[in-house]
Amino acid sequence: MQSTFDIILAIGAFGLVAIGLLGLVISSNLFRMVLALVMAEAGANLLLVLVGYRTDAVAPILGVQAAGTPMVDPIPQVLVLTAIVIGVGVQALAVAAVVRIYQAYGTLDVRVLRERFGLDVTRAAGLPPTRSLEAPVGGRPLPPPIPGLEDGADMAGQGRG
Amino acid sequence: MIWNLPTSAIVLPVVLPLLAAFLMQPLGRVSGAVARVLGPLSLLASAWVLIDCWLTYGDAPFTVAIGGYAPPLGIVFYVDRLALLFATAVPLLTLLFWTRGEDHPDPDRRDAVMSLMAAAATGLALSGDLFNVYVFYELTAVASFGLVTLNGTGRAYIATVRYLLLSAMGSVLALVGIAIVYHQTGTLNLAQIAQLAPETLQGPTGLAAFALLLIGFGVKGELFPVNSWVPEVYSTAPARVSALLAGLISKLAVLVLVRLLVLAYQGTAAADLMLLLGLISVITAELAAWRARDFPRMLAYSSIGQLGMVFIAFSLPGEAGVLAGLALALHHLVVKSALFGLATRWNGTLEALTGVARSAPIAAGLFVLFALSLIGVPPLPGFWAKLLVVIGLADGGSALQMTALAAILIGAAVEASYLFRLAVQMYQETGGAATGQETTGGATQPTAQPPKPMRIDVGIAALAGALLLAITVAIDPAAGALRDIARQAADVAGYIETVFPETVARSD
Repeated sequence: MQSTFDIILAIGAFGLVAIGLLGLVISSNLFRMVLALVMAEAGANLLLVLVGYRTDAVAPILGVQAAGTPMVDPIPQVLVLTAIVIGVGVQALAVAAVVRIYQAYGTLDVRVLRERFGLDVTRAAGLPPTRSLEAPVGGRPLPPPIPGLEDGADMAGQGRG
Repeated sequence: MIWNLPTSAIVLPVVLPLLAAFLMQPLGRVSGAVARVLGPLSLLASAWVLIDCWLTYGDAPFTVAIGGYAPPLGIVFYVDRLALLFATAVPLLTLLFWTRGEDHPDPDRRDAVMSLMAAAATGLALSGDLFNVYVFYELTAVASFGLVTLNGTGRAYIATVRYLLLSAMGSVLALVGIAIVYHQTGTLNLAQIAQLAPETLQGPTGLAAFALLLIGFGVKGELFPVNSWVPEVYSTAPARVSALLAGLISKLAVLVLVRLLVLAYQGTAAADLMLLLGLISVITAELAAWRARDFPRMLAYSSIGQLGMVFIAFSLPGEAGVLAGLALALHHLVVKSALFGLATRWNGTLEALTGVARSAPIAAGLFVLFALSLIGVPPLPGFWAKLLVVIGLADGGSALQMTALAAILIGAAVEASYLFRLAVQMYQETGGAATGQETTGGATQPTAQPPKPMRIDVGIAALAGALLLAITVAIDPAAGALRDIARQAADVAGYIETVFPETVARSD
């Protein structure tokens, strides 16, 4: 019943989702992660279109074709339109937040950001540093804080960390 | 005062806050004062409409076809007591935790996002169409991203982006799940899915769809593999936003999954999957909470643990499962949002709360009450909720269920350990500012004055505490009301019959 063409398309859709998810997991750059998300969303949308797809069918416009002509299922197409709009909104929001992060920390490297995030949060909570790198031995005073690292309000463009 | 609104008025609680959200910024240009009251007014109106519907039509479930298009092609709102209960909680809680008193450069924008979240969350509770649920879920997510960044700090943005990426990944998986469901059943109307599920969805493909939806919607429900955003967001977002996310939004995501489980996957391996993930949530989160050293993160981990328990409860079959899960979810909704409210000022380390009972005796007393109820000390409602879960699991008796039972009991012990540790610390005597200096490290630790929660937060917490005590006294009528709600929600045939009155009559 299913043609090879359908199967290839389905593999393509699932493949896009898989590539996107893999990219989200292994990327170390925040912007690449956003791009991976875009790809995964494209895969999901393609899959949704495929669900309603029929080979040798026409666009579902009533009255244009003779009655009884096989038509593709219009509902998944409507759903995909909605999903695309939602996806674009979320992606735009993600990119905007990524820009803010770059302004605040001067890097998009996830490993560096994770480090600084942990430092920031413990410091904001008033906790002493957890590791010897941050807490000098023997209760000696900490070195003066690096300017701009606190809340990172206005530290635009310090280059890659 | 019952105004006998038509049933279609049920869309107003979604429409009004949505309208307010979009009008707020243009109106703010003209008159700031009008824009300021617009959000609370729309929420008050929503709450009133919902309560009115509850009083007028509360007994029997009903549906409203949006735009007059009949289901299954049109989108319906399905209104039973369960939906009404959570829908009513949305405007009420949003009003209680309306972000006030905090400086923000653009208050209209903040209020608009808040209204948007209320509208979307109400829609999530009421919708009876899978794709419509997805849309409302995404709207809620987008609004919550906006709220989490309210502080505008760099770390808030990092937490938001990581939350956003995880949430969007979940949405992709949920979308794939929806595509599979549509492929198998050819419909997205929940009632029709329920009709077709026994033949089409309970095979391996259908179960895969449920797993995808579980992971996808589980992001907001703080389910195990996808909850790494929880401590990050709750330790950087404003505490009132955390209160809404942990108390309310997470429950709505769970509600969606429960509807799916009850309607389409009753008595299948889907329940076991939910049980397993909930079980891992409970164990990992309670241990992490025990290790947490600051108040917001302790609450965050404890919230994951409690939600894991809610998932375990809902995985029990039939009416008993819905009842147990509902009791736990409502209990957590009241207690955890009140606790996060207190965390507005108690946002530092646990050590900073030493001796806080002297300066803020009411808040500390309320904390002890909430802690006792969370652990499940007998007369309090938390005990009865946990008891329902434990009885249900013991009745089931499968190996996985007995493991979950053990996990819940051990989790309660761990919970008791860290909550009592904090409670004792709160009531410790401090020698004033001097002891603050003595703490290790020599690094500057100005713990001169223990922080004092704001009066409004203590008021909200007192309200929650009073509610807890009232339910403790009136446990019988409360349990009866919950049982009615659960019976209605677990009635699959009733759900189908409400949405398609003729279809069922014909097939009978």
